[in-house]
Amino acid sequence: MRKIAIYGKGGIGKSTTTQNTVAALAEMGKKVMVVGCDPKADSTRLLLGGLAQKTVLDTLREEGEDVELDDIRRTGFGNTHCTESGGPEPGVGCAGRGIITSINLLEQLGAYHDDQNLDYVFYDVLGDVVCGGFAMPIREGKAQEIYIVCSGEMMAMYAANNICKGIVKFAQAGGVRLGGLICNSRKVDNEREMIEELARQLGTRMIHFVPRDNDVQRAEINRKTVIDWKPEAAQADEYRQLARAIDANDRFVIPKPLTIDSLEHLLIDFGMAA
Amino acid sequence: MPVAEPFVSTRNPCKACSPLGACLAFRGIEGAVPFLHGSQGCATYIRRYLISHFREPMDVAASSFSESSTVFGGGDKLRRGLDNVSRQYQPRMIGIATTCLVETIGEDVKMLLNDYHPAAEPAPDLVHVSTPSYRGTHVDGFHAAVRAVVGQLAEAGEPTSSVNLFPGAVSPADLRHLKEIASAFSLDVAILPDYSDTLDGAQLEEYRKIPEGGTPLASIRAMGRAAVSIEFGRTLEGSATGAAELERKFGIARKTLGWPVGVVESDRFFSELSAISGRPVPQIFVRERGRLVDSYVDAHKYVFGKRAIVYGEEDLVVGLAAFLSEIGIQPVLCASGGQSGRLEAAVAAVTASSVGPVLARGNLDFAAVRELALEMKPDFMIGGSKGYSIARELDIPLIRVGFPIHDRIGGQRILHLGYRGAQQLFDAVTNTLLARAQDRSPVGYSYL
Repeated sequence: MRKIAIYGKGGIGKSTTTQNTVAALAEMGKKVMVVGCDPKADSTRLLLGGLAQKTVLDTLREEGEDVELDDIRRTGFGNTHCTESGGPEPGVGCAGRGIITSINLLEQLGAYHDDQNLDYVFYDVLGDVVCGGFAMPIREGKAQEIYIVCSGEMMAMYAANNICKGIVKFAQAGGVRLGGLICNSRKVDNEREMIEELARQLGTRMIHFVPRDNDVQRAEINRKTVIDWKPEAAQADEYRQLARAIDANDRFVIPKPLTIDSLEHLLIDFGMAA
Repeated sequence: MPVAEPFVSTRNPCKACSPLGACLAFRGIEGAVPFLHGSQGCATYIRRYLISHFREPMDVAASSFSESSTVFGGGDKLRRGLDNVSRQYQPRMIGIATTCLVETIGEDVKMLLNDYHPAAEPAPDLVHVSTPSYRGTHVDGFHAAVRAVVGQLAEAGEPTSSVNLFPGAVSPADLRHLKEIASAFSLDVAILPDYSDTLDGAQLEEYRKIPEGGTPLASIRAMGRAAVSIEFGRTLEGSATGAAELERKFGIARKTLGWPVGVVESDRFFSELSAISGRPVPQIFVRERGRLVDSYVDAHKYVFGKRAIVYGEEDLVVGLAAFLSEIGIQPVLCASGGQSGRLEAAVAAVTASSVGPVLARGNLDFAAVRELALEMKPDFMIGGSKGYSIARELDIPLIRVGFPIHDRIGGQRILHLGYRGAQQLFDAVTNTLLARAQDRSPVGYSYL
């Protein structure tokens, strides 16, 4: 079983990219579980056809510790297992602790057990690694590979670099490695070259360049992944390529984060100013 | 680049946690129940710690945080806890302190209390103080609670001639003595907090959920109209205390004095009361002072030049350092777990007459005190029971004062303040040194 965590700047398209990739892997016959690690609980909406799911933490709060796996896990597109950690309402409590509680509970209930015959677990984690809780998916040998979703926009690259700093720390203590960058295009000039260069400097590679295509948004309105909604669409093939690239990936590295100076130079050399 | 000192974790802290100090302060308010917003274990620990010193019942309620309150916030638990405590105790005030967990998840207790609609009629006053115990000591929690109480309850109005007295974390015996002194000056003094009865009461036929005594809420409300505030604690200078809050809000003059331990520091306190009341120091205290100074002369030969390690909360340490210096004992080390940053200067200010160098160090733990003690080889130590293992290792006497005293009875009855307190301390120190010399002599002298 491969355990993968997806990180990246807020709003970059982590959940959309993850679900489309998972749908493509499911289409390839892989057995996949998605663990949403975002209090908004919107990491499995496209696989489940809506936000119908009761979260792990809601269930825990309402029903106590006596929870069954089926209470917190739904089956989505292509027989994927979908769970959402959930969390507190904005501004209250501790979402980070929520993720720790939720992942511990999933482990206790045997969600990752061999008898589940999983090929992949995907952790979809919100935004930056803001505190210990949000690092939970990459701690203690949970996820072993990380993909960072980014674009050619400066703040997305800045966030990617920052996440790499977090990975370095956990890579030294545990076994987590960076599998690559996924460029979710924002149609920035020279975007592909710039992200390829960023990846090179980080010591990894851009595993796929996902072009911008409004079919993604059309599928989302229909509460579906592109693979599900329009399997013949060009964009569906992009996600299939990404899924195959991840499936075939064997380059896992401890990244070398850039200094702010080098990052800015990269933007000057390749970006708008080039 | 400066080389950082290697990190050493705190080993056996020379302090307790800040919600503990807050609970102690809340216990000194009439009809009040201390309440911890946080985990059950914190309340149990604090109760045990205080009960073992004061040997009195000490209820501390808790909102009993669980895993789900940590994730989702503990608003429900807080509201239910307050309703339960109101129903079971019928308190006039609930003093709410926070634990580390609640502070770390960033719980907005003030907002939660604004949204709380008490089921009890009449609703108790709710006073909230933020006490993450990884910041500061029990004494910081104590002062923060006192400040929160006056900040939230004291009211403006027609000025009175009364005096606010903030003694700090002194003993019940000290509090009783302060009331006696105030009354001898015919001064109307409001002491906050006052746990002289609540934590040192009489045996009762029937258990009372909230013990009698404590500063009445009406007196606390009237503190906003007093003529002057006196607070004890040289290290409090410039910090945000109850007296500072009253000065800021109501313009009440704030006088910060050292703990009146020993002749010199007590003189300052008595002359301040004399100035405020316009009366000379009452004869009873003049005579106490006279006898005290006479005893200093009588026993000078037994104590002069001895070397002591003093430890405990910062302002007690400053007071003891002043006292020891004036009787000719060199306080070679004045140690505290306190982190005010003002200990060194405060000790220096009161030990100018010391017979030898004085080292004052804040932010120390007992492991560090031990290392220094092994080097310094003092004649005795003076402080709470937590220094016992060091005294035992050095084979020197430990004179128990302050808080906590967990290995003897009577911690609540130790008098530290005023001429009378100094007399008791002086006799204890002298007799301990005499007993030491007597025990060590190969001849069993019964005449020293």
